[in-house]
Parts: sequence; structure tokens; C-alpha cells
Amino acid sequence: MKKIPRIASLVLAITLLLSLSGCGASDGKTHLKFQIWDIAQRASMEAICDAYTAKNPDVTIEVQVTSWNEYWTKLEAAAESNTMPDIFWMHTNQILYYSDFGILADVTDLYANEDPNYYQNHFSDISIGNASGSDGRMYGVPKDKDNIFLVYNKEMFDAAGVSYPDENWTWDDLVNASAQIYDKTGKYGFMAYNDDQMGYWSFVYQAGGYILNEDNTRAGFDQPGTKKGMEFYVGMQDHEWCPNQAYFAETAPGTAFFSEIGSMYVEGNWELMNKCINFPNMDGKWDIAPMPKCPDPVSGDGRATISNGLCYSTAARGKHLDVVLDVLKFFGSEEAQLLASSYGAAISAYNGTEQPYFDAFDKAGYDINVEMVMDQFEYGVQNVNNAAKPKWKSPVLDELNKVYNGQQSLDSAMANMQKIIDTETAKKLAGD
Amino acid sequence: MKNKLSPAARREENWGWIMVAPTIIGLVVLNLWPFVQTIYTSFCEHLGFGHYKFIGLGNYTEIFQNAEFWKATWNTILFCILTVPVGLFLSLLVAMLLNAKVKFKGGFRTIFFLPMVCAPAAVTMVWRWIFNGEYGILNQLFGAHVGWITDPRFVMISCAIVAIWSNIGYDAVLLLAGLQNIPKTLYEANSIDGAGPVKQFFTITLPMVSPTLFVVMIMRLMSAVKVYDLIYMMVEETNPAVTSVQSLMYLFYRESFVAGSRGTGSAIVIWTVLLIGMVTVIQFYGQKKWVNYDV
Repeated sequence: MKKIPRIASLVLAITLLLSLSGCGASDGKTHLKFQIWDIAQRASMEAICDAYTAKNPDVTIEVQVTSWNEYWTKLEAAAESNTMPDIFWMHTNQILYYSDFGILADVTDLYANEDPNYYQNHFSDISIGNASGSDGRMYGVPKDKDNIFLVYNKEMFDAAGVSYPDENWTWDDLVNASAQIYDKTGKYGFMAYNDDQMGYWSFVYQAGGYILNEDNTRAGFDQPGTKKGMEFYVGMQDHEWCPNQAYFAETAPGTAFFSEIGSMYVEGNWELMNKCINFPNMDGKWDIAPMPKCPDPVSGDGRATISNGLCYSTAARGKHLDVVLDVLKFFGSEEAQLLASSYGAAISAYNGTEQPYFDAFDKAGYDINVEMVMDQFEYGVQNVNNAAKPKWKSPVLDELNKVYNGQQSLDSAMANMQKIIDTETAKKLAGD
Repeated sequence: MKNKLSPAARREENWGWIMVAPTIIGLVVLNLWPFVQTIYTSFCEHLGFGHYKFIGLGNYTEIFQNAEFWKATWNTILFCILTVPVGLFLSLLVAMLLNAKVKFKGGFRTIFFLPMVCAPAAVTMVWRWIFNGEYGILNQLFGAHVGWITDPRFVMISCAIVAIWSNIGYDAVLLLAGLQNIPKTLYEANSIDGAGPVKQFFTITLPMVSPTLFVVMIMRLMSAVKVYDLIYMMVEETNPAVTSVQSLMYLFYRESFVAGSRGTGSAIVIWTVLLIGMVTVIQFYGQKKWVNYDV
């Protein structure tokens, strides 16, 4: 009788050990994990993985999707314990933080054999910038490029008798149209909420100001252009036609727009296909237009849109680095980028592979002027970024929040924002 | 002392150690060691990816000079004041109702316990819609236009309501168990003596249920000091009322995981631990005045 538990425990222990060792591959193939955060791009990512594995049958790639918020917590923990996924998306918010610590593999010479200037020849400066570390080396293969634009409700414009926004629209037109739509239809005009990339940043650059100076070492909240842009953007909530920040805390501008409560807001092209699919009953009722320009900028021509882009990265200490680098090389090729574009979820970064993205909307029968996104790249501003961004991003938004709820004036907020960014940036620079 | 044990007894003792080992090891590895690490981290600056630099009391001087930190401490205390007494009172009331002779007792008990079974995230999502200033049912019902979770004056009360609502069932079940342990004979004797229901409550029910009430109160206070998920779900970072409701744990989350300053985050956690410790010590001394362990 006594022996049975012992034998049982022995069996249990052995099964436990076996299940531990079971992690290793048994079919002789290299199994790679590919981590992304956007479920809408799962299909296109799986397509390029399949294209690779079709040519390289000894490799399998599994695409895993984690939500945006968890993604970074997980990735950082994985980086600390050296268990990062084999391939993962990198964002401009974080790339400098990761690359400065030597977490990411340097892929500058990935194409050295075929073309030493591969990146320069096939990708825009913004795309390259978005994939570069502080040392100017490439820490990812450019994946896509995006920019943000004005989304408007055609029915509301018609009802108010206002002509649709076009490339000549200025801030004044934005205000006038908003006021008229609100007066005549009772719907909100342009919905300006507290956000950086999707909010005040574009307006600051349109007015000739900047958030960070050229070498990203100092903030520009003391610049007249920055002040002009922010005063206009933040001031929009003082109008009746713009909901206040309390409203936006409960209802995102996109939600208000597609519930036909507001007539205009700013959206990025990575969301377009998603919106078309999710709101089929809105099809034909809305369209997109370039960002309105500043009529009297402090400098420049008044045009700007924030242009961001992701890249494919891998860990510097990855277990299958050789195989992964070969996969990345394929991901950066014209073939893979054309394929990814054709799903209409993101515009591939490789120059000349954009068209399938726009065709995807035609093919699906969605009636929006999506080609306009392409023209906007001309005056795109690279998404604001420096190595200290994870430290200052949230406190800076907090300062602006205190303006929206009346706790402080915009001037004092801008002084604080300047101080926060300069202090954190100086700390980071001193640490290097 | 141990030498006095016979070999058989010693063997038995060793087995005792082996038997509790999994639990002890689990506690040390999963609870005690991280706690020690947190204390150490609170004296360090996090440089990134697990690299730390020792900076002594730097994090503490930083948070003690930070107005947001003191506001969060006050918010946490306020949350305790708002939720614990009211919550306990309501739970006791519900427990007594469920203990009385009513029809469908089992059904009512289930209904009151249901919030406990629901995922907190789902519960808060529903409450957010109820509280929604523009389209929420609460404002529709009263024809009001109150920003329940966006107005700095109301946001704390709204969060407290959700917290109380979510916990009543669980606390009531615990208290119900306490109530059912009270011998019926006490009430009979008491009513023969001519005591009314109110007097019965204060002379029998309250003293007899006080040990359970004490346990529930400690648990509730500790979880109120640690409140995080509810506020995180209810109030987003760009909510203009966020500073009026941000608790210590919410601040900890933002410092540690949004801004990546784990040193500062750890210092906030240590401060919270001290706060919980202080509250618990006060309660254990206070219990001598009102908790009755004699049957």
C-alpha cells in the first residue's frame, strides 16, 4: 500500500520533467514567434510570413497579437529576461529606449551584399529616421508609413450648406465650418481633444513651431510658432461647437463621429480600413481631406501632418539570429512590402509599394478619397521622438489636462512642459 | 531542546518540514523575496531593462516633494473613509435581511453575491456607461447633466459607489455566517426580558457578530488602501478629473509602467505598505474596545 503513492509521485515528477523538455522543437524546423499589437494587421503579417516559409520550408513563423497597452509591459519584461519574441514590431515611442540599451539587433548592414545603400535607395528619410537609433544605425527594417488627416461627415456639410474641406482649407475655414454646422444641424464641429500625435502636434508644426528641436535635445514650447499652434488647438474647446475634455473622457472623437454626433476629427490612415469595415452603414457618408493649414504661420507654408512609421525588429541576443535576420531581409523586400500593402491595413514603407494599399479600398468598394494620404507625405513631419520620450510623454499630457480642466493657464502649462522635456532629456543625455 | 526528541519523533518533525516546504518556498519566492527586492528598488533609480543605480533616499525625497503624491495619498484615505463605513453598514444590513425569515432567501443571497462573481473589469465597464455624462442612464433617469466620472467633485463618490456595490455581497455572506453562529436562545431570553428589535441588535447581534465584522473591516480597509483596478478602469489618463481620484496604486502604476520609473514606483509601494501597517495596528488596538470574543 505504501508503495503506490511513491510510484505515483515518481510518475508525476517524470511527466513534469518531460513536459519541461517538451519545449524544444522535435520536427527539425526553426520555430519563430512574431509579436504584433494590431489585430487588423494579422492577416497581412501572416501573408508575408507564409510567403517566406513557402520559400524556406524549414522555418515556421507564428504571429501573435497582444493589445497595445500590454505589448510594451510584456516586451520590456521579456527583454530583461532575454526571452523576447524572435521578431516584433517596434514603435518610434520606444525604439530609442530599446536601441540605446543595446536590446535591438543592428540591421544597418542587412543588405550590404546586394546594395550598400539599400535603405537610402528604397525608403524615405522619415521611414529611415523612424527606424534609427540615437547613433544613426538602423535597428529595424522599415515596415510602414502613415500620416494623419481630417475626417469629415459629408451629410452634415451638405445640411449646413458648407463646401467640403480641400487642400486649400485653413484654420479659419475649419472654425467657420464648425460654427455653421453646429448652428444649422446641432452637431459638433471639429473635435479637438487632449492628445499629442493625433492632437496639437500637427497644429504646432503648421504654425511654424516645434515640439523638439532639430537634434532632439530641447523642447520648443517657448517658441512663438508653438505657442500659436497650441493656443489655437486648445482654444477650440472654448467654442460651443467643440465638446469639452470631460466629454472626450467618456466618448472618443472617433466614436462620436461614427455615431453621427460630430462632423470632423483627426484620424490616421492605419485606422481607415478598420473604420470602413466596422461602420458599413456610414459608407458614402464620410470622406477624408488634408489637414487644414495655418493661414499665417510664424515660418513655413502652414502645412504639416505628423508622419509615423513602424519597423520590424529583433533582439540583439536572439537565439535564432541568423534565421531571423534572413526573415527580416525578406520583410524589407519589395515583394513582401507589396504584399503587406495589398491588405489595406497599412501603407508599406518601401517606395513604390504604396499603390496596393489604395487599391484595396477600391476593391472592397469603399468610396473614400484615400489617395489624398499619399500627397500628404510631402509635408509630413517625423513623429516627435527622443530617448527620454517614455519619461516625458505622460507628464506632458497631464500638464495639458490641467489646462483643459481649468487648473492652470496654457502659458504656465507650456512652461512646465518645456521644463519636463528638457529635464528628462538632459538626464538621459547625461546618463549616456 | 530538539535533542530530547526520539529518533522517530525527529523523523516525523523532518517530514513536517518537508510537507510545508512547498508552501513556505512558494511564499518566500513569490512574496517575501519580491518584497525585499521592492524595498531595495525603492532606493534605486531604474535606468532601464533591469539596470538599477543606488541613489539612497532620492526617490523618497522626490515623492515627498511631489504635490501629486500627497494628493494621491489623500485620495486613498478619502476612498477608505467613503467606502469602508458605508460598505460595512450596508453589508451588515443586507446580511441581517438575508438572515431573517423571508421567502426566496436562497435567490436573494445569490443575487447579492453575483457582483462578486463578475469580472471587475466588466463591472466597471457597465458602470461607466451608467455614469456617462451624455448618454448614461443615471442622467437620463434624473434629467440631470452631471459629469459623474469627469467632474472632480463627483468622481470620487462615483468610484466609491461602484466599490461598495461590488463588495456588499461578499461581505454580507461573511457576516451572514457570523450571524448564523449566534445561538437563538439568546434572542429568546432577550425577548422574554422585553427587549425590542433595536435593543436586541445592540445588545446581542452587534457584540456577537463583532469578531466577523472586525475581520471584514480589516480586509475591506486593506483592499481600499490598495484600490487600483476600479479607478484605472473608470478614469482614463486624459480624464480631466483624474487628479481628484488618482489613488496611490494608480500613481504607482503610472510611475512604474507608464513612465518606467520603477524606483519611484517602489517608493510609493513602500509608503502604501506603511500606511496599511499603520491602519492595521490602530485597528488591532482599537478592537479591544469593541470586539467581543466571549460567547
